[in-house]
Amino acid sequence: MNRIHIILFLILSFIVGCATEPLYYWGNYSQTLYKYKKSPKEETLAAHKVCLVNIIEESNKRNKKIPPGVCCEYGYILLKEGKTDQALYYFEMEENNYPESKVFIDRLKKFTATNKEQ
Amino acid sequence: MKVGKLFFLVICCLLALTACGPTHMTKYEAFPKMYTERPLAILVLPPINETTAADAKEYYATTIAEPLSFSGYYVFPVEVISEIMKNEGLYDTEALLNLPPNKFKEYFGADAVMYIWIKKWSTSYYVIGGNVSVSIRSVIKSTGTGDDLWQYEGTIIEDTTVTSIGGGLAGLAVAVIATAVKTAATDYVPIAKRANYLILNTVPCGKYNPKHDKDREEKAVLEKVMRTRK
Repeated sequence: MNRIHIILFLILSFIVGCATEPLYYWGNYSQTLYKYKKSPKEETLAAHKVCLVNIIEESNKRNKKIPPGVCCEYGYILLKEGKTDQALYYFEMEENNYPESKVFIDRLKKFTATNKEQ
Repeated sequence: MKVGKLFFLVICCLLALTACGPTHMTKYEAFPKMYTERPLAILVLPPINETTAADAKEYYATTIAEPLSFSGYYVFPVEVISEIMKNEGLYDTEALLNLPPNKFKEYFGADAVMYIWIKKWSTSYYVIGGNVSVSIRSVIKSTGTGDDLWQYEGTIIEDTTVTSIGGGLAGLAVAVIATAVKTAATDYVPIAKRANYLILNTVPCGKYNPKHDKDREEKAVLEKVMRTRK
């Protein structure tokens, strides 16, 4: 059943992406995020983090732009873990890829700075 | 006589087909403001769940970013946004709806906001089949003018029937049980995602999609009831 879902999803992304190749690589994003939302605990969060890192790595490997929001979401998780420097790195990656995210990223950066002082 | 009856049936079918067909408008005719305002950054608000299915909100929220990004838009990370909103005490429905759209431009730099209402999320199975049906109302509003740029209201139905593999009554019984089990324990994430893809198909493509601004003449099929294809 899962294989059918994957094939169907691929076909749909082709149609909606309107290009010969899908615009982005999203990996297992919806599944791991849903599982984390449904039961927020260490394992489900770890699985979602693995998924986010995989999307970033695979996108680079396939010469695709990283999908919108992914770097920011990963940075936000790192921020909550107290890894402020790493968080800033990913926030900047998001802003470089998508300049329209500037206002939002600036807000997150400000939040990071106050977090660091505490 | 038989030929006459057949002819009559064919006419009836044709009439039914033309009468109940979907509205075929071009994307430009249906949503002209998407082309004049050209939003790029869309902020998707946590869906407003009007159903008793507690998980519907999460199913929907986790599957919207992917199809919307493929349509060519910058999509703010739904998860991060909803946590920030929660911190600001803006998680409940009323607070969100009452916030003027231009606040989202101020806070996050969004060009448009997407509101989603989940009106129905139901699972049903009957003797020889089953389905999941999702009724959605969704609106994209400009944060500049406050105007509605795009909207959809309708129902997506996914068939969860398991077709019988073995023949005869025993085979049918197995299929009936399989359908009931499958419908009850269906993985809703891919279903929600397919529903999102179908609904967003009518959205004119944004800047990151090569079809941006070239899809004016494309048909926006606005069916009230759509079925996902397997």
